[in-house]
Amino acid sequence: MSKVLTLFILLTCMHTRINAQLYYTKNAAISFFSRTSLQDIKADNNQAISVLNIQSGTIQLSLLNTAFHFPKAKMEEDFNEDYIESARYPKSTFKGTIADIGKIDVGKNGSYSVKVNGDLMIHGVTKSITVPATIIIKNGTLSASASFNVLAKDYNIRIPTIVENKIAENIQITINCDYEKK
Amino acid sequence: MRKKITIYIIVVVAAVIAIAGIIGYQIWNKPHQDIKDAKAIETTAVDFYTNLANISNQKSASFINKVVAVAGTVKEVSKNRLGQQVILLKTSVDGGSLNCTMEQPADNVMAGATVVIKGVCTGYIEGDKDMDLPGDVYLTRCYQLK
Repeated sequence: MSKVLTLFILLTCMHTRINAQLYYTKNAAISFFSRTSLQDIKADNNQAISVLNIQSGTIQLSLLNTAFHFPKAKMEEDFNEDYIESARYPKSTFKGTIADIGKIDVGKNGSYSVKVNGDLMIHGVTKSITVPATIIIKNGTLSASASFNVLAKDYNIRIPTIVENKIAENIQITINCDYEKK
Repeated sequence: MRKKITIYIIVVVAAVIAIAGIIGYQIWNKPHQDIKDAKAIETTAVDFYTNLANISNQKSASFINKVVAVAGTVKEVSKNRLGQQVILLKTSVDGGSLNCTMEQPADNVMAGATVVIKGVCTGYIEGDKDMDLPGDVYLTRCYQLK
């Protein structure tokens, strides 16, 4: 009986320990920014799911392309119908690993610069990327941010010649995640 | 006579350019859909979540970008990075919510309240099976009706 009890306590402790490594958010903020001499375009999406295992460093992010909100209705319509083709490719995802996860101490307040390697899937095209990111630990809460550029043509997003002076080929993507402990 | 024809052609071309410019300007600056007054599909948070979480992407496409009015019980009220109010409605799945980003913040809404929220459905995102985390169904540009 005592062996069963010990095993139960051990399993409970292990489950708690495993869960303590897991963080998630269901309202991660993703924005992109296109700058040209004629026009700046910014769109925000605050409905992304991200999960992070702080022990292994694995990180995932998934969002619905239709959740990007633009200042103009026509921009939103063109983005969904002509560029990202949301009906055909409803989601964009990232799956990767924080390379230098070992230097993060979740028990200690601090800002950690890290490198994240992984696969970014946009418009049905997956590319391996490595981007710098920042992990901030503050009083037990964990947040992450990253900002990097992607080329539209790398993801088979064609910008028609007629609007190429209004939409940049080089798009800046910014990610902010405020995680909760699972 | 030739001079008159030339002037006539110039006036017509200028008028066509001006009309095209006005139409282009109006299309470019057309406002976003008025969600408050749009016709909505009426449902409950429990039913809507169950439908979207259990059907294929192809079938769920019929709900994407549709305006829905959803009745449900508030699980949590918070704010996102842009300062917009986010209201989670309870579903039949523990940890799975109807995740509503408000265009106009709801007043005095607290966990446990029964509400009707109207907004645009952006879809369902799966959670993480390894993490035992269910996904959410998302509504954006939401207003509280009741």
